[in-house]
Amino acid sequence: MPTLKLQNISYSYEKGKSILSNINAELEAGKLYAILGPSGSGKTTLLSLLGGLDAPTKGEVLFDGENIAAKGLEYHRRNHISLIFQSYNLIDYMTPIENVRLTAKQDAVPILERLGLKKDEISRNVLKLSGGQQQRVAIARALASDNPIILADEPTGNLDEDTAMEITAVLKESAHTFGKCVVVVTHSGEVAKQADVVLEIKRGHLKERNTQ
Amino acid sequence: MSIIKRAFLYVARKRGKTILLFAILLIMATFVLTGLSIWKASEAAQLNLRQSLGGKFDIYVDWENSPYVVKEIIKDNEFDEETGKTSNSFLIYSTVQLTPEEIAAINSVPGVKYSSARYDVLARFDNLSLFPGTVSVAENLQHRTKVFGVCGTETDELFTTGTLTLTEGRHITSEDQSVAIISGDLAEKNELHIGDYITTHIYNPEDDDFTGEEMQVQIIGLFTPNVTEQLGETVTTFDKIQNRIFMDLQTSIKINNDEINYGFSAVNVTIDDPQNMKQVVSAVKNLPVIDWNAFTIEIDNEVYEKAAAPLTTLNELVVTLLVVIIVVSAIILALILTLWTKTRIHEIGVFLSVGIWKSAVIGQYLTEVLLIAVFAFGLSYFTSDAVAGQIGNHLLEQSVQVEQEDNSSSTPSAVDVGADTLIQKPLPTENGIQVSVEPDSLALFYLIGFAIIIVAVSISSITVMRLKPREILSKMS
Repeated sequence: MPTLKLQNISYSYEKGKSILSNINAELEAGKLYAILGPSGSGKTTLLSLLGGLDAPTKGEVLFDGENIAAKGLEYHRRNHISLIFQSYNLIDYMTPIENVRLTAKQDAVPILERLGLKKDEISRNVLKLSGGQQQRVAIARALASDNPIILADEPTGNLDEDTAMEITAVLKESAHTFGKCVVVVTHSGEVAKQADVVLEIKRGHLKERNTQ
Repeated sequence: MSIIKRAFLYVARKRGKTILLFAILLIMATFVLTGLSIWKASEAAQLNLRQSLGGKFDIYVDWENSPYVVKEIIKDNEFDEETGKTSNSFLIYSTVQLTPEEIAAINSVPGVKYSSARYDVLARFDNLSLFPGTVSVAENLQHRTKVFGVCGTETDELFTTGTLTLTEGRHITSEDQSVAIISGDLAEKNELHIGDYITTHIYNPEDDDFTGEEMQVQIIGLFTPNVTEQLGETVTTFDKIQNRIFMDLQTSIKINNDEINYGFSAVNVTIDDPQNMKQVVSAVKNLPVIDWNAFTIEIDNEVYEKAAAPLTTLNELVVTLLVVIIVVSAIILALILTLWTKTRIHEIGVFLSVGIWKSAVIGQYLTEVLLIAVFAFGLSYFTSDAVAGQIGNHLLEQSVQVEQEDNSSSTPSAVDVGADTLIQKPLPTENGIQVSVEPDSLALFYLIGFAIIIVAVSISSITVMRLKPREILSKMS
């Protein structure tokens, strides 16, 4: 059974402009998905629907076969989803370890160390870390929450090429080693290359791109 | 991570905002706590004043409307040789009077402190040397003094107001017969002591003097006046306070050979709390033992009202100020927190994206302000204590001035129930109020302060909490 299933999803703004139209997809655990598409194509909107940040105009998002709206979107966000953003979105008055502990269901220190942060760095002000380090903290927060799905919106958008590749590797490891269902919205072809499945949004429709 | 820990981290790490909010809350707390303390001090002063002054009302014969009032002509068309005119002399009295039993019933009404009533007669005593007055009177009155017939002296207005003090012996009670209390000075002048007798005679109308049957009255107490006559004051011998004699009612009526009077035509009732005047008067009016066709009631709350007026004005002023301060504080706090909440939109988005509930986010904001408030409010105990006394008494001075200006033309009015100008009335407490910040005021303020904070945080959170998580996240980006 897929971890997440999009069933006849459509989304329109209040003014009636249709963004997504009749989208169907199945996302499985242990895989890294990349969603590509031009700006304004609805990538972030789709990610919001997967993460329960918004509700579709039509159709259903199913988690383990159950409509996520049944128990409430807040419950879905809290128990199934970890979000990673382009701008890291760490709490600035907390240290890296405190940021991870915000939602941690397991010991935060080994996860941070595994993602390459040194002991003195995990107790430092997050704003004094580099962009790559901050994104690692954000990923550590996602991993420590034990939620089965990681949704990442342009996670390498603010990073240099080398760091971007390192972060992509970490996300891939999260899928393959930790068994997470990782969905990455990206413009980057390099990131897409690392993905197990590449999905592309064009004119409101979602299509799987052949990665072979 | 718990709400409290998140709140603690914010307060500890965002020191600039914490200090600013601490200062705002301290100022707000000082104002409110000062107002509360002045209000409580004013309330306490009013209560003290009410208890010390009491309230008064008079029950007296309704001379105009009572069907029991009798008007007897004593001398008809009497010709006055000096003026060359004729005149009539009348005797007006009520056949229904207030008896000691009825006064006891009045005293039993809840809220009544005591009643004071007098039957007075100018009597002459054998071998009693009086202190001379400063005004000459008719020859037949020269050796007479004023006798007050009472149910009891302990509740007599001259004693309750402290004008006279019983210094030896005991008070007259309603059970006593043929007893008297005289002044210590008069006793000394005549070498009289407790247990001695003074002698008089029943009034004889034929020779208009006390030449009837001999009566002996035992001295059971001595009083000392607490007032002194002013130099040059005009006073008759019988009115001189050292010459006053208190007696039980029946003996004084008997001495006067009075066949008309058997009780009092007026009684002055003192109640515990002037604020309860209406209820007490209503309860007295419902007493079935009193024939209300014969009597009327006049409320005399003027002493209390005059004394309490500055405090009442102060109280109204402080309550108004308190309400304004509380509302303004809540508005200012809400505005500041709203501005700060808008700057924390990013943080809210992060919290919501990691699954922290909106209510938990509001809970954190509330906890942050409360954490700071606990210390600010605690410190305000000392800042308020430092200024409350000065502000309170300054406001009271203003209130006293306002009341004095308002009441400058009014004159007191009262029904004469046998009391006189010698009565020393307690003075209003215009010497200031004791304002100090009490722990119960601080506790009350903590409740009010926390309520203000809850309202302010709720208002400040409305705009953000209405937004959907996605809208917040899009605002973040």
